[in-house]
Amino acid sequence: MMLRNLKFALNSAWQSFWRNLAVSLAAVLSITLILILAGVNLLVGHAFAQVLDGFRAKVSEISINVADDTPLQSVSDFQLQLSADSRVTSVRFITKEEALAQFKSDPQNVVLAQQIEGNPLDAKLEVRVANLGDVAAIDTIARRWPGVDPTDPTNYQGDFVNRMLELSQWLGLAGVGLLLILMVVSVVIVMNTIRTAVYHRRKEIEVMKLVGATEWFVRGPFVIEGIMTGLIAAAIALALLVVVYPPAVDRFKSDIGFIPLSYDPAFISSLAQDLLLAGALLGALGSYIGVRRYVRI
Amino acid sequence: MSRLEGVGRIGAIGYTARDLVRRARVRNTPQQKTQLMVLTPDFDTRPVISFQHVFKTYPTGTEALRDINLEVPEGDFLFLVGPSGAGKSTLVRLLIREEKPSKGKIFVDGVELGRMKRRKLPYYRRKVGLVFQDFKLLPNLTVYENVAFALRVLGEPDSRVQASVAEAIDTVSLSGKEHTYPANLSGGEQQRVAIARALVHAPRFIIADEPTGNLDPATAWEIMQLFLRINARGATVVMATHNREIVDLLRRRVIAIDAGQIARDDRSGRYHDDVAKPQVRAQ
Repeated sequence: MMLRNLKFALNSAWQSFWRNLAVSLAAVLSITLILILAGVNLLVGHAFAQVLDGFRAKVSEISINVADDTPLQSVSDFQLQLSADSRVTSVRFITKEEALAQFKSDPQNVVLAQQIEGNPLDAKLEVRVANLGDVAAIDTIARRWPGVDPTDPTNYQGDFVNRMLELSQWLGLAGVGLLLILMVVSVVIVMNTIRTAVYHRRKEIEVMKLVGATEWFVRGPFVIEGIMTGLIAAAIALALLVVVYPPAVDRFKSDIGFIPLSYDPAFISSLAQDLLLAGALLGALGSYIGVRRYVRI
Repeated sequence: MSRLEGVGRIGAIGYTARDLVRRARVRNTPQQKTQLMVLTPDFDTRPVISFQHVFKTYPTGTEALRDINLEVPEGDFLFLVGPSGAGKSTLVRLLIREEKPSKGKIFVDGVELGRMKRRKLPYYRRKVGLVFQDFKLLPNLTVYENVAFALRVLGEPDSRVQASVAEAIDTVSLSGKEHTYPANLSGGEQQRVAIARALVHAPRFIIADEPTGNLDPATAWEIMQLFLRINARGATVVMATHNREIVDLLRRRVIAIDAGQIARDDRSGRYHDDVAKPQVRAQ
């Protein structure tokens, strides 16, 4: 019986979609536009997340400069103390020689390296902190350690980290806010489209109710029609985004080179999943609300 | 009763009830000519429909029904008569639970309609066959599809749908018109399709609101014969009507409603009474 009802619902949804083709296409177009906006939002969000992750990895690493006269035992003790801290993921000791070699290996420093006499660089403890928010605490511990170079204790830039944290929070909020607005708009559009379809079929609905159809039997075809509309719109939006995404990233890279944006093919599948799911859900929700008033027995 | 008093429409075109009976007999198929069986309802058993001090006031303040007490035994055939606006349609709407009573209780088949949960309502409606003045057929479906619709909604398997629909269409003498669309049928034929749809799921109750209101007198009589046959098979029939000739001819139970109250309840009644007369004339 469930199968028969499903068949009935699928059949009537399909028929209704084609019978009211103009209205259906208008709905598909509207939802496509909204899903494109949502997709762009997701893509931009993802790109920023990538960039932010890059920055985050950099700033969640803190270099503690070791004063030249600090005994190796003291450095080793402090390294152990830091490693034991749950907030710290790794601690690496870099000797003065290694620091110099690193400095020289950077092509930007070629000229400067030739002018250096002896080794003016400090030995360093490179500490990777799990959570960006905890870097400040580790910095405080490092500054209290007697072995630290008092003239240039760490490379920690508190303001920058705090701003990064704030920026990423705001971007996340803005993304969610935009998605919410897009969602509401698309639900309203589907709702009105389905309402038009329902209005055309109100006699049929009345008869259905009078002969004893359950609310879900009446509602089913409309909800399926909404899901169909949403899925078609999502497929179109996805196709357009997939085509436009790589050239857009290339263009962005060539224009604004200092932001390390990159094309991420793995994200396409997650985008496809999100858009199709969103399309289906928005379609279903819009239909459900649109048909409610007429279906209530 | 050599000639029924000519009143309103029927009188104006010169029909008498006898003419109607004669014409209907001529037009009937041999199957319909068989003597109509009259089911005698048993008023002593527990009623299947019962109104207990039912009041209905609409949110606008209109008092549609006042203190209605009514008992309908299984197999009864009753006419609800009365002027327009008297409350007949409200009573029908209460019976099919399109409206809830403001006060009082309505029991159908032992279940109190006012307290029935919304999700149970479709299952109640499946016990009832509904026939309306405006037929309520779906114009984009054929005769067969319109009748089958009532069963498809219930999720019946195709084999059962085919058998039951064929039987219902045969009952209303529309065999051969299965693939015709309602627009190509006469008013009487459309009402027969509606009746076939109402009885295809073998309901225990038939509730009809002015089923002959849009039909010419001879066709109206044919439709009435269908209702009598359905009643003879055991279904309880409640019919709101303005059709004076038919009510007077059939002499079934008549409940006259006036200003929201039961003015008269006769087991073998006539339409005619002081309340209804002026309204019929005004038509």
